[in-house]
Amino acid sequence: MRIFWLLTLILWLGPWAATAATEIEISAPGEQTMPLALTSFLAKDGPEVAEIAGEINEVLAADLDLTGLFRFVDPAAFLSDAGRIGLYSTQVDFTQWRLLGSEVLIKGAYTLQGDQLIVEARLFDVINRRLLTGRRYVGRTKDVRRMAHTFADQILKTLTGETGPFNQRIAYISKSSGNKELWLMDVDGHQPIRLTDHRSIVLNPDFSPRGKELVFTSYRANNPDLERTEIYTGQEAKVSSQQGLNVAGRYAPIGRELAITLTKDGNPEIYLVGFNGSIHKRLTNNWAIDIDPSWSPDSGHIVFVSNRLGNPHLFIVNVYTGETRRLTTRGKYNVTPAWSPKGDRIAFTRQQGGSFDIYTIKVDGSDERRLTFGPGNQEHPRWSPDGRFLVYSSDAGGKKGVYVMRTDGTGARRLTSPESDSNHPAWSGRW
Amino acid sequence: MKIWRALQFSLMALILTGLLAACATTPPPSSTTGDAQGQVQATDVSQQPDVKGVDSGSISSQDVADHLAIKGLKRVHFDFDQFTLTNEARVVLKQNAAYLQANSGLKAVIEGHCDERGSDEYNLALGERRASAAKQYLVSLGVNGNRLSIISYGEEKALDAQSNEQAWAKNRRAEFKAIK
Repeated sequence: MRIFWLLTLILWLGPWAATAATEIEISAPGEQTMPLALTSFLAKDGPEVAEIAGEINEVLAADLDLTGLFRFVDPAAFLSDAGRIGLYSTQVDFTQWRLLGSEVLIKGAYTLQGDQLIVEARLFDVINRRLLTGRRYVGRTKDVRRMAHTFADQILKTLTGETGPFNQRIAYISKSSGNKELWLMDVDGHQPIRLTDHRSIVLNPDFSPRGKELVFTSYRANNPDLERTEIYTGQEAKVSSQQGLNVAGRYAPIGRELAITLTKDGNPEIYLVGFNGSIHKRLTNNWAIDIDPSWSPDSGHIVFVSNRLGNPHLFIVNVYTGETRRLTTRGKYNVTPAWSPKGDRIAFTRQQGGSFDIYTIKVDGSDERRLTFGPGNQEHPRWSPDGRFLVYSSDAGGKKGVYVMRTDGTGARRLTSPESDSNHPAWSGRW
Repeated sequence: MKIWRALQFSLMALILTGLLAACATTPPPSSTTGDAQGQVQATDVSQQPDVKGVDSGSISSQDVADHLAIKGLKRVHFDFDQFTLTNEARVVLKQNAAYLQANSGLKAVIEGHCDERGSDEYNLALGERRASAAKQYLVSLGVNGNRLSIISYGEEKALDAQSNEQAWAKNRRAEFKAIK
């Protein structure tokens, strides 16, 4: 693991940071947006490189815009202070930023020496004229986007108390190479890389909550088997290869276990299995199709799809007692449930009027909300680990693509390139 | 696949079937004697099964490595989100049963497929149920279950890549491939 190509030095800010964080409190998008001035990062001790400043600015702008928490002050209105490096509060002319109506300010500097890149980033509280958080990142030129994503995560942590998910990854299935293979990309769609080369059919990835590991289903042995891959070593291993389906494997958030759908007994049923495929428990026992499990964050319950009452609907089963209750009552086709990491809501897909859209519902079955309204089909919602965003598949642009939106349905944007034919995303844990 | 290796039938199959029309459209590799009311088919087991190779017009270009279409076994179609056999499907499966019994050395894998709508996972399950429904019906007609295996491809191998009712109807199917 090469986590430490990126060396993060935390600047000790004294008691200010803690008190400031409690004074500025924003949590949900749309409620009240905070006016933010995002200045271009300036060259400090090395040469001026427009691409570096441009990438930092682009990443921060896109990440922070996606949160829905900020309103950007028009850079065209910036005054002379935007042209000065200001890494300490005493160096910043807060009056200028106050004049422009901004409440928070991002400033920064970079130093390029050979291939070594140092980025120093700051978030200031304009009203109280002080530093809220600062980071110094040391890496190489190619790490510049990663540094900016990490600072966006840090900004969210400072302002909301919870770190952002921007320095994580999204796994997905793409047909770019001609066959459906497993791919990995940044959460803004950059740097896509192919992880499998099965030249068969690869489906339905899920991230291990503990590490850089994924499970997925592959047909390369002429049966839909569940396999596992370690992302950095590329090592692959069979997890479950029972006759029939071995699909929709989902890591338990706690404990070393997977929920999976097997048809070895002649009918799709949900089982709990170990990482070697050994069966720990059969969770459903019904003539109907039972499939597509998703764990509650405490690993105590599983929401799944069953057509035991005729049409596919969502049900919740208690993992310990087997007690099962129906969750959705509306619609005639409710599938692909995903339990939020906060535990309170479940996202799913409903077919209505010939097309699919994404909904969320409270765990007790109340407060159902529709998030997408076409065009095309929106499917396969999965949460970011902080519960702020949903990543999903959509064919709104013709070919299937991976999209992201806020959990209230706003801010939707495409992540994969228009020609990539991609779907079925899964958001990683902390990277 | 290993389990299908277990049984080999060495007896001649003698089948009576009332489904003349079916046999007429897809004559199996057998010597046929019969009259207008019924047909007696005698099949020489030493004969190769009637495997004609991949029908490129009806199969997507994805890998079909060890699966070859069997010309005498026709695909059956299903309604949206259904795995129950329609009357039409039953008629076709009766023909397929007759063909299988006339070609007793033949083993087939039944592939279950779905249209592109719906969740991948649910469609995998649905495809499995479709293949299973086809298999069970053939078994009920007297075909030895050991000659038939099933696999679901869900929505992964569409016959028609378009997104319209016609294409979807075409893609909701169970089809038969020879086991190599």
